[in-house]
Amino acid sequence: MELRTSRPTVKSPSNHFLGKGLNGLGKLLLLAYAAFTLYPLYWLFISAFKTNEDFFNHPYSLPLVWMKENIVRAWNLGHMGRAMMNSTLVTVSSVILTLVLGILAGYVLSRFQFRFKKVVVVLFLTGMLIPIHSTLVPLFLMMKKIGLLDTYGALILPYTAFELPIAIFLAIGYLASIPREIEEAAMIDGNGWWGVFGRIIFPLCTPIVATISILAFLRFWNDFSFALVFINSSALKTLPLSLALFSDGFGTDYSLTMGAMAIAVIPTIIIYLILQEQIMQGMVAGSIKG
Amino acid sequence: MPTALRSKSFIALALLPALLLFIVFVIVPVFWSAYYGLFEWKGFGATKFVGLGNYREILQDHIFWRALRNNLILVASAIVGQIPIALLLALVLLKNTFFTRIIRSAVFMPMVLSTVVVGLIWGYIYHPQFGLVNTVLEAVGLGSWTRPWLSDIHVNMLAITIPINWSNIGPYMVIFIAALQNISPEIDDAAKMDGAHKWKKLLHVTLPMIWSTVVVTLVLCISGSLKAFDHVMVMTHGGPAQSTELLATYMYNNTFRVYRYGYGSAVSTIIMIISALLIGINYILTRKKAD
Repeated sequence: MELRTSRPTVKSPSNHFLGKGLNGLGKLLLLAYAAFTLYPLYWLFISAFKTNEDFFNHPYSLPLVWMKENIVRAWNLGHMGRAMMNSTLVTVSSVILTLVLGILAGYVLSRFQFRFKKVVVVLFLTGMLIPIHSTLVPLFLMMKKIGLLDTYGALILPYTAFELPIAIFLAIGYLASIPREIEEAAMIDGNGWWGVFGRIIFPLCTPIVATISILAFLRFWNDFSFALVFINSSALKTLPLSLALFSDGFGTDYSLTMGAMAIAVIPTIIIYLILQEQIMQGMVAGSIKG
Repeated sequence: MPTALRSKSFIALALLPALLLFIVFVIVPVFWSAYYGLFEWKGFGATKFVGLGNYREILQDHIFWRALRNNLILVASAIVGQIPIALLLALVLLKNTFFTRIIRSAVFMPMVLSTVVVGLIWGYIYHPQFGLVNTVLEAVGLGSWTRPWLSDIHVNMLAITIPINWSNIGPYMVIFIAALQNISPEIDDAAKMDGAHKWKKLLHVTLPMIWSTVVVTLVLCISGSLKAFDHVMVMTHGGPAQSTELLATYMYNNTFRVYRYGYGSAVSTIIMIISALLIGINYILTRKKAD
């Protein structure tokens, strides 16, 4: 499988299926499809600002009165604030750990020759093929044994471990484009390998840092299965886990659940609106690699 | 030789943390589940060695086969539903204009949402009383078609495939756009000079040019569908009466609902073997294609 990190750029206008561009009907169909894709999210947001009564009587019209009470109640009663803090803490720590360990390992694997290099590369490659869900039970038992279960570490360490192969291979691919002369010059200036990595290589890796962070952020922020199995105490629950339990606990309080979902979705939507080009390219690069 | 020594210590220190973390949390569990799969164990108390007993029981359990069938339904729906729609969208949204960018970002958007949010919203859309699907059916005079979409065992697997396809079309579309934009304009022009009709051109020029990408998306569809867990967990928990059970939910329910850790480990190992088989088959098929 090949890897493409380049942005799609149009090489020639003639390279186009419909020659002259879209006609009116085509545009209309596309708009309808886009509306179909966005409608569930639109519905989520209008419902989040309704009373339950309003929601049951007119589930698909705009709120009679826009009220922010659901959001406030979800934030306080549903402990969404706490959940958001947990999600942020776990996600940020895991992203940083993934970046540092992944790029460091990628650097070693791209620049040095040593005895077990092939074995290490094959090991990481195999790791990408291991289905996450088949490790849930053994990881649960293992972490129970070493007392890691129900801690932040129970999420941070597996998240990082599972994201490492993608990070490493993205880093290897990127480092291939950086000429070695830069490092040699830095070595002559009296830097050790750590100095070269910290002062020269890591700063040069900014584009790939962005890609790795985006991929890792979305994966960690939205993860449900690991949190479901490894976290039990309500003080440590992340957003997706809280939401899933929320809907069980407040099953019939639909607009409250919608409010909680709105809280959970807003950060990702904002990040998506700002970084959508990078997110699209990053996810494509990552999914083709993985 | 101080420099050689120094690089050696750098290699070791720089690689070791990543390698250790990866081995402990990704590789070791594979062997642990294979080992635990040989025992009967409730999570506490004594473990009882049962050899291949768990595996025998799994293969005789019709729920396991139903879960596998449901996973294969997801694979089929991904191949039929996601790839053609994504390719069609890629073809018409190839050009970079304001309009196509807007549509592209709308189509891609569900991908960044948490699977839990997707599951919950669609759970409401399928709600028997106020759900969008039933409301629309009533409004267009098809009231007899309304049903509880997620609890009717004849349609619920099909209902589950829709939100999954809904969220996954975006990435495939972007993959196809990247591939299509890499086709050299000369080939395109040559096809045009030959007067090839656009559908003919699509079939005989464009598709073969991006065939390797199509193969990649097929692989992603297969592996993605085998990983399905979250949506079903949120929408139905695998029910009612285990009608929407998938391999992963079957594993989860057996381990964490009825506390059969040994049995759950054996299911984990089987999931691993099934993925390895599919990846292997795919590897052989795609390698032949490349030769």
